[in-house]
Order: sequence, then C-alpha cells, then structure tokens
Amino acid sequence: MEYRQIRKRVAEALVRASSTFRPDQIEAWEEAISSEVNPHAAWVMKLIVENSQVAAVNSTPLCDDTGIPHLLLELGPQHAITSELLSAVEEGIAQGLRLLPGRPMAICGEDVDRLDQSGGLDVDPSAVLSAPLLVKRVKEDVLRLHVLLEGGGPAIRGRCYRIFHQHKWEVLRGQIVEWGIEAVSLIGCSPCTLAIGIGRSHYEAAALMVEAQVFGSYYKQSSLEDEITQMVNQAGIGALGLGGEMSVLATYMKVGPQRASGVRIVCLRPCCCVEPRVASIELADT
Amino acid sequence: MVTLVAKSLFETKDLHTPLHPETIRDLQVGDRVEISGTIYCGRDAVLPKIVSMAKAGDLAKAGLHLEGSVIFHSAVSPAGVGPTSSNKLEIEGCIVPLSRIAGVKLHLGKGSLNEGTVRSLKEHESVYAIIPPVSALLRSKTVKSECVAFQELGMEAFYRLEVHGYPAIIAAAHGESIYS
Repeated sequence: MEYRQIRKRVAEALVRASSTFRPDQIEAWEEAISSEVNPHAAWVMKLIVENSQVAAVNSTPLCDDTGIPHLLLELGPQHAITSELLSAVEEGIAQGLRLLPGRPMAICGEDVDRLDQSGGLDVDPSAVLSAPLLVKRVKEDVLRLHVLLEGGGPAIRGRCYRIFHQHKWEVLRGQIVEWGIEAVSLIGCSPCTLAIGIGRSHYEAAALMVEAQVFGSYYKQSSLEDEITQMVNQAGIGALGLGGEMSVLATYMKVGPQRASGVRIVCLRPCCCVEPRVASIELADT
Repeated sequence: MVTLVAKSLFETKDLHTPLHPETIRDLQVGDRVEISGTIYCGRDAVLPKIVSMAKAGDLAKAGLHLEGSVIFHSAVSPAGVGPTSSNKLEIEGCIVPLSRIAGVKLHLGKGSLNEGTVRSLKEHESVYAIIPPVSALLRSKTVKSECVAFQELGMEAFYRLEVHGYPAIIAAAHGESIYS
C-alpha cells in the first residue's frame, strides 16, 4: 500500500476509534440498560449511548480526554515492518489527531519541565506522541494495525503489581476483584470494562493488558472473565457511582506465559465508559 | 398511576444562570436538571488561582462576576468539555471558598465529595451536581466558549461558556449527598 494511503487510513482509524462505539459495544450497553434497576444509573447510561450516537454522526470525540494513542501491529508471515511504514503510521496518527481534533495536552520542555508541567502546553494536538509500538507476530497473512486511545482517568485508577497466588486461581481472582471494585468506585466514569494482563514482568503484563483491549469482545466472555465481572458487579457501584447493577459491562483478560514462581504480575485498567476506544485497519493490499 | 408517580419523581428541572437562592433552596438530592446560560469552566490548575483572586478582591477588576454562577470542573479544548473528578485535592479545596467568597451556587463535576464539603455547601446555600461524561452531546449543547483568565494555561485556563440544556443530577444539597 502506498505511503499516502497508509497515512490516510491510519488518520481515519484514529478518528473512528475516538468517535464510534463498535457493534458489540452498543449491544452490551443496550443489554446493560435493560438490566439496570437504579433509575439514576439507567438515566446516565442512556445519555452515554446518546452521546455515542451524536459522536458517530458528527465524527467528534466521545470524550474530551481524547487519550494517548497506543498501537498494536499484527504482522503476518508475508509482511515486513519498514522504516517507511512506521513513518507513514506516525504521520497518520498526527493527521488523525489534528483532524479529530485531539486534546492539545502535550507538555513542552526537558524532563523536569514535563514532570512538573512548568514547560507549558503545546497547542498542536498532534504533539501528543504515541506510546511505543507493540508488534505481534501472527499466522494469518495480514499487516493489521489496531489504534487504541487511552484516557487519563483509567490510568490514575489502574495498577500493575504482583500477586502471590498460593497456587490457586481463587486467590488471584480475589485480589483482582478487590482492585477492580476500588478502581471502579473511584473512577467516576463507570460502568467500566476491566482490561487485565497477567504476565511475568510489569512490561509483559502491561502489554497483555493492551492486547486484551484490542482482542476482547463483549460477545465472547470466558468463564474466568465472567466470574470477575459478576463479582465486581455485586459491589453495586453502578453508573457514575450512583449505585446499581452495572458497575462493569465486561472483563477482557489476557493470560500470557507464566514462570515457575509463587508470583503473578497483574496489570489492571478500569477502562472508562467510553473505552476501550479501538479501531483496526489493514495496511497491506489485498 | 405508578407510571405517573415515577414520571413526576424524575421530572427534569430547568436551571438558568445566574442562580438565585430560592432556586437553590428548591433543589433536592437526586433531582435531574438541565443547565442553560453562562457557566464557567476550570479545574486543578486554575481554580486555586481564581480563589486567590477572590480572596484579594480582584475578580471584578478582571471582569469576573461569579455571584449565582455555575463552575464546571472541566478542561476546555477543541476536543470539547467533560467532567474531571471533583474530589481531586486542588478542585475540592476550592469549592467552599468559591461559594463563600465569590457566590458560586452550583459546582458541576463528577465523583463524591467529602462530608465536610457537603456540610459547608449547605451553609453557603450552594449545591453540587454531577454531569455524565458525554462530551459529544455537550458539544452539541455549547453555544459559545471563550477564555477569560490565565490564558497561558491552555486547556486548563478559566473559560466562560454559553450552554443550552447541560444534563446533570443534584448530588449534594442541604447537607445531604447522593453517595451517602
């Protein structure tokens, strides 16, 4: 595919990720509204769905925190990553952020200026750089890019930490549920979708958590995911913390390779009510 | 009969700024409201500066008249507006001073406030409302937006908006909280 075409497709994917609920997401919301018994919570949830309809029609952001772009590239056996491809993707992200427009929230300056925010803000939305690219080799003959937008609220309430599992799933699950309840009750933008990665290091767990958001589906929940969802929902946090049946719509969990050890590293992100914001595109000619 | 009761329980109240004390007295926790008129937006970075201006008596000199106003805890950018957590230290710490000194009547954001803040809001005849994070919808209900102070803070500056029908729910009023 030509450079310019890749750039255009990536830009369009970013706008789509920011402004559109996917079909399974819409269905999950409709089902959640019909199950909600708290009228205030149901009112909030209906507004969130209405918001998604307005955003989709106008191609405007679902949330004013348009997030930090995270990219996952699926690489099939017949394809290669070139410097040119990465440049086109990078330019596409920048173009998408200007087109959306994204929130101009990049901080200027050297390390300390960026840390204490004394460097001022860059007024250009495209100055918000993507997180490091994640590449996943796959058997399918594809070159497929997934664009994911990660907002700040879930980053504040998420965590990546070790759990001593005592060789029992129930122990891991109990700790995950405890973290999930705490995170969802604090985030203020529930119902959430819990994204969880379990790996051997913090890096691996975080990468698996991103992968969980990309490949997770509201249509298909594993029994482990269902258990977590149901247990967190028993806390009765509800939409915006107003109480109710639906604190989380679903759980997306990705379990990676594990080491012979009493410890599992778990990364949990309470994706807010507009997340996961993800769009996928093919970058190879078919 | 049941339907009629339910409908009247959740009837939406229209609020137009500036808000008068009698309007505030009429609001109850759980009331759904739609806010129209002029509102102000600010969050962590700018609200402590606005409080300092209020304490120094400098608001009027800067053309800021907050008596009866609504302050929305939000950034303002080309991406729109949306609530940030009102219980962040710098934001919640500004709620009571802004009501006491500057006469702000409605604080709009998200998340629960501590008991002390809820009690103090009652003393100053002010309320707190939460607004769902519906930026696309709010964009369609925002008529005008202008930066009115601390422009150097970019999206975190103090903004004045003209809005029509922002949906919210009263979360703290008369010493009671929807979260308790």
